Parts: sequence; structure tokens; C-alpha cells
Amino acid sequence: MISIFGSSLISLALLLTITSLGLNLWYLRSKDSRIYFAGRNAMISACLLTFSAGGTLVYALYNSDLSLTYVNKYSSIFTPTIYKISGFWAGMEGSLLFWVFILSIYAIIVLYQNRNKYGSLMPWVTIVIAIVMSFFLFICLAFENPFAPVDGPIKMGSGLNPLLQHWAMLLHPPMLYLGFIGFTIPYAYAIAAMATQQLDASWIRLTRRWSLFTWMLLSIAVVMGGKWAYMELGWGGYWAWDPVENASLFPWLTGTAYIHSVIIQEKKNMLVRWNMILIMLTFTLTIFGTYLTRSGIVSSIHAFAATDLSIWFFGFVMFLVSLNIGLLIYRHKDLNSQNQLDSFASREAGFVFNNMIFVAMMLVVLWGTLYPVMTEALRGVQIRLGPTWFNQKLIPFGLVLLALTGIAPLLAWRKTSINSIKRNFSLPIILSFITGIITFSLGIRKVYPLITIILIGFVLSTILLEFYRGTKARMKSSGENIFNAFISIMDKNRSRYGGYIVHIGILMMFLGFTGKAFDQEADVSLSPEKNKVELAEYTFELKEYWQESPSSHPKKRQNHNAEITSIDIYKNGAFYTNLKPERRIYIDQNSQPHSEVALKTTLNKDIYIILGSLDLKTGMATLKIRLNNLVSWVWLGTLVLIFGTLIPLLPNRKLNE
Amino acid sequence: MPKAKFIIAILALSLIGIGWMVIGFETEEVPFISVSDLIEHHESYTQEKFRLGGNVLDGSIKYSEDKLDLFFELKQGEATLSVKHHSAAVPDLFKDGTQVIVEGVYKNGVFEADNLMTKCASRYEEESNYESKGSQTI
Repeated sequence: MISIFGSSLISLALLLTITSLGLNLWYLRSKDSRIYFAGRNAMISACLLTFSAGGTLVYALYNSDLSLTYVNKYSSIFTPTIYKISGFWAGMEGSLLFWVFILSIYAIIVLYQNRNKYGSLMPWVTIVIAIVMSFFLFICLAFENPFAPVDGPIKMGSGLNPLLQHWAMLLHPPMLYLGFIGFTIPYAYAIAAMATQQLDASWIRLTRRWSLFTWMLLSIAVVMGGKWAYMELGWGGYWAWDPVENASLFPWLTGTAYIHSVIIQEKKNMLVRWNMILIMLTFTLTIFGTYLTRSGIVSSIHAFAATDLSIWFFGFVMFLVSLNIGLLIYRHKDLNSQNQLDSFASREAGFVFNNMIFVAMMLVVLWGTLYPVMTEALRGVQIRLGPTWFNQKLIPFGLVLLALTGIAPLLAWRKTSINSIKRNFSLPIILSFITGIITFSLGIRKVYPLITIILIGFVLSTILLEFYRGTKARMKSSGENIFNAFISIMDKNRSRYGGYIVHIGILMMFLGFTGKAFDQEADVSLSPEKNKVELAEYTFELKEYWQESPSSHPKKRQNHNAEITSIDIYKNGAFYTNLKPERRIYIDQNSQPHSEVALKTTLNKDIYIILGSLDLKTGMATLKIRLNNLVSWVWLGTLVLIFGTLIPLLPNRKLNE
Repeated sequence: MPKAKFIIAILALSLIGIGWMVIGFETEEVPFISVSDLIEHHESYTQEKFRLGGNVLDGSIKYSEDKLDLFFELKQGEATLSVKHHSAAVPDLFKDGTQVIVEGVYKNGVFEADNLMTKCASRYEEESNYESKGSQTI
């Protein structure tokens, strides 16, 4: 029943999306506004139907309706409720429906926001959204229908993989999708601007909030994926240059370039073509990234199964690429900028270099990710490039980018005089040297971390100097006290100061990255006879071990048995903390074992313990112990980044002047 | 500023970037080859590290006394190979018959893996996908 109902919703939605596409095209010829409204209503109905289809799947998952294959695969009656619902995006079929589900929400918001505005752009915006939506609805219906009924007798349901039963996995896929799909909207406006030849900065202004919001969600999603890997995969790191991780990074890199370079178009009417290319690239990369992860083309540890789907996806990516290139050629004359770069020592040039580096980084990651595919095609053997390759190639780019973060905002528009360079740069350079000397004297001798910290010192002092100067000037001109003056400058120029705060977040993350160079790891085996081991200044002592089960702990251990060890940790001989790493056996998952990381987090260091195995008879436990440095700064930096991005996103209170 | 100057600067930077990309490639390359290819032709490869795929031979999993060294037979088609891996925590999905990927070096008939990955896909997604790829047929 529910199978037919759900499938019908998708079919109807597809039908209406195509109808809307047709009506909008017809409107462009006939200019009859009734047809436009009919097209809009068709689109809204399609969105509501898609939304209902999503709701139906959630309903089926929530009620463990095991007549659906999908529910069988990703849920069971033992699965905790919250993870029943997250089953929506745990598997291939559901996640593709989830994709259109989110796009339909976005589409409704866009159509509602602009219900009486931008008459010439909106039909085209609707057309682009309709094309993307009908592609995904078609895929859902033809290849990956989440409402497919169970073949044969109804089984008990295999439940959600324990690896996915984690809060970061609850939030990471929705965030990632919200971020990926959000770029559809600026892209749709960009295409509309191309189609209607309105190539001034107005489409950029219209989509500025969308782009920023989307960029923020994508940033959160990328970090959250790392957080999940850190907590659940149990190898102790948060980033391994896995193709799936890389796929989320492509649009992030070009998207970051985009939110920088649009500033130049808004302020200086430059980089018109470049911005168009960037948004096209970013959107196409979101689809390409989805294709990469969903098709299994680059076999990755978490690749989904390869299906006919990959041909369709590839076709769609190719269609987008040709559309983009075609439009760029067709409108090449309209995309010329009015202004040119005046000098290399100008803020514009700083932004251009920033953009080049972001795009270069994207190309490096793309190259490394597709290397196995290329070598297979050319040399007949898949050759993978390890994480070391990625780090080695990308760290220098990252450092140049970091330096530019400090340099570019200090340069003047058009041309910077030698005097102003001296005035603006001397203090930050002195401060960064002092940072370097302090770091060196603390015993940090590794080159990259040392350079990174010097640059962090440099950039941080340039940012603080900007805040200081802005506040001081404001105090002088308005007579406000320091606090009010600070708030006023932030309020008056939100994107600028919000941007600086985002940069501070990025600096914190870079600090976190440097910690990686000093990580320590030990694989140990402890038993009641030999119950102590030392690593750096810490001593780890096995105190106790025991078992818990659903019958002994019905609330906490609903769907698994757990073997638990209690480890006392001493720092320089004094008791420091106790950690209880555990190993779970999920009863609804064919007794799949899963190790739960035990973690003691401080700003400086994470103590990270994984219980590999425990022999309940002898008490012998194998443990992987890691001392991960400065990891918290990566997470904290992300929070600062979110805060900074929210500043320009907040609604205007119209307080200005 | 003349446009030419700017274009030259961009070209020069791009060249540096490309140069940076292509140097020192080989050392980080990890060919994904078949077990039989490794046993028969490992000397013909310039790379040191290899990536192999296969299934864990049923009943072949053994541990050292302290349980920190793992030994098993990797089976791919007709070929089998002894694998050694040092770790306190093997991946959650590692067991008899599982599809695994190992990375490491080949020494005196034993593959010393510094990286052992199980194919999560078997649980992330019901059926495996490794069969579908040419060079990594298992």
C-alpha cells in the first residue's frame, strides 16, 4: 500500500515538474502571465508532492513498515527511534529522495520570496530548478525507488549500521545536502542572468545570502564528516583524503573562492566572467561529487554500489558542463568586465590570487582523487595516491592562502603605496616574528607547523589591528565608548567584520591542523598480570572489565551487548582521569562488533582510546591509544566560523544612519 | 597595468603550480594490483607499496599471543597470500570471508600491511561493488 502511495507521489511530482518546465518555456514565448502563474503553481505542487513523498518515507521508517525493502535494509524494530528517522538518508535510495526533498523546500522558499519580484529572471530560475529536480525525481523513480516493496517474505529488518548511529551522522548528511543543494539557487539565478542578458552584479546581490548560508552549511558538513570519522571509524584521525571526503571538498573550495570574488564584482565591477565560471563550477561539482560518491566510480571505502545510475549521472554532469560552456561562449561579449586590475599590490589582485589558489587546490584534490581512474584507463592499473601525497601537495598552497588572508585586507583598492605597506605591515610582521621565536623556544622544530604558527600570528595581528583601527576611528568620530563603537563598526560593515571573524575561525582550524604533526600512538595489550603501559607523560592502567547487555541495561543497551574496560590514566604519576572504552556487539546487525572511542578532550590534547578486543575470561584487552594534539581547535574554529558567517546573514535592523 | 603583464603573471604562477603537482609523484603511488600479479611480478614494479583486495580465507585468522599481531590469508581468485598486520584494533567489520583492502609492502612471501580496510559497503549498502571494477576483481 505505502509502496504504491509513495511511488505515486514521486511520479506525480515528476509529472508536475516537467509540466512546470514546459509552462515556463511557453511563457517565455507567449508572455502571457497566466501561463507563468500556472507554471509556478505546478512547481509549487510538485514541491509539495516531493515533500510528502519524503514524509511518507519517514513515516514508514518511523513505524518500521517492513513491507518496504528500504526500511528492511536500514531499520529494524530494535533501532532507536532517532536512527529510524535518520534512515531517510542512510542509504542510496533514501538519500536521493532526500536530495529532491531538500531542493523542493528551497524551491518553495525562492518562489515565495520572489512571488512579486524579478519577473524576467524568475521563469528561468524555475526552469533551472525544474531541470535539476526532474533529473533526481526520475532517478528515484527509475533506478532507486525507496518505496520498492519487499521481494518475497517480510524479514525482520537488518537495522542501521552501528557506524552510522552517531549524532554527527544524524546531522552530517542533512547539512551536506543542504549545502550542496543550496548552490542550485545561485546557479539558477546565474543561468537566468545569462539567459536574460542581465549580467550586472544584480544576480549576485540577489543570491548573496543564499550563497553565504549554503557555504556555511557546507563548511559545517565537511567538518562534521571529519568529526564522525574521528569518533566512529576508530583510526584516530578526522581526515584521510578519502574520495568521499574529497567530493565534499570540491564545491567547498570553489564555493569559498566564489564568496570572495563576488565582493570584487559588487564593489569594482570586475571578474564578471570569472564569477560566472565559479558558480557554474561549484554547482556542477556538487552534482559531480554526488555522482562520485553514489556511483562507486572511484572505489572508496564507503562507496555505494555501482548501478546503471552512474551512466545517467554521468550524462547529467556532461549536460551541465556543455550547458555551462555553451552559455559562456554564447554570451562571451556580455561577460567582459568594465574595469581592469591596476596593480599587483592591490586588494583586487589579492582576491584574484586567493581565487587562483582555491581553484588550484580544487584541481589538486580532483587530480589526486581521479588518479586511480585515470591510471586505470591509461596504464591498465589503478594507482592510488596516499594521504601523504595530498598533504605534501596541498600544505604549501594552504600556507600561501593563509598568508594572503592576512595580506589582502591590508592592501588598498586599486594600488597600495609603499608608505601604506610600511604602515600596515610592520607591526603584524614584528608580532609574527615574536610568535615564531616563542614557538621555537617552546621546542617546536618541525618546519610546516612553525611556518603555520608564524603565519597565524601574522594574520591574527592584522585582523586585530583592523578591529582596533575601526573602533578607534569610530570612537573619535561619534564619541561612543569603546564597546558601542565596536558594535557600530560591526553593524555598519557586517560582511567585512563577519569575514574577519570567519578568518579567526580558520586560523584556529589551522592551529588544529598543526597538532597532527606531533601525534603519538601505541598499540598495547593489557591484562591483570601486566596492567600498565606508558605513553609520553601518561600511564594507562587497566582497572576493571565487565559486560553489559540489553537485559542488564534495557535503556542504555537497547540493541547491543557491550564489553567494557575501565582505564585509569595518570599524568606524570598523579591520577588524571578515567576512561571506559567499550566494544559493542549489535544484536540487530548479525552481531556486528563496534568499538566506541573513549575520549578525554582538552584544548591541548585528546586522549583517544579504542578497545580492540577483550577476553572476558583472562581479562586481556588490546587497546589503541592515541595522543592527538590540538584537535579541539578544529571544532572550536568551526564554531567561530559559523558565528562569523551569521553576522552578515542576520536580518538588517535598518539602524544604519 | 597592461593586461599582458597580468596574463604573464598568471601563466607563470600556473606553471609553477603544475610543476609542483608533477614532481615526486612516484614515491607516493600505490598500485592496486591482483594478488597473483604481486606474487609473480612484484619485482617489475618501481613502487614499494601495494594495495590489494580480496577476501579473508575462512578459518585463517590468527593472532599473536599478545593479540597485537594479526595474521590471515588473503584470497583472490585462485591465489592466496599471507598477510601480517600490527594493530590493537582491527576494523569492526573484519571477520572470516570479509572483503578487505590491504596496503603495505611485500617481504619474503609475506605481505606486511600497514593499512587494513574492510569494505564497509557490505553494511553501508547490502551488496558489494568490488566485483564490478576491472582491475580489482575479487
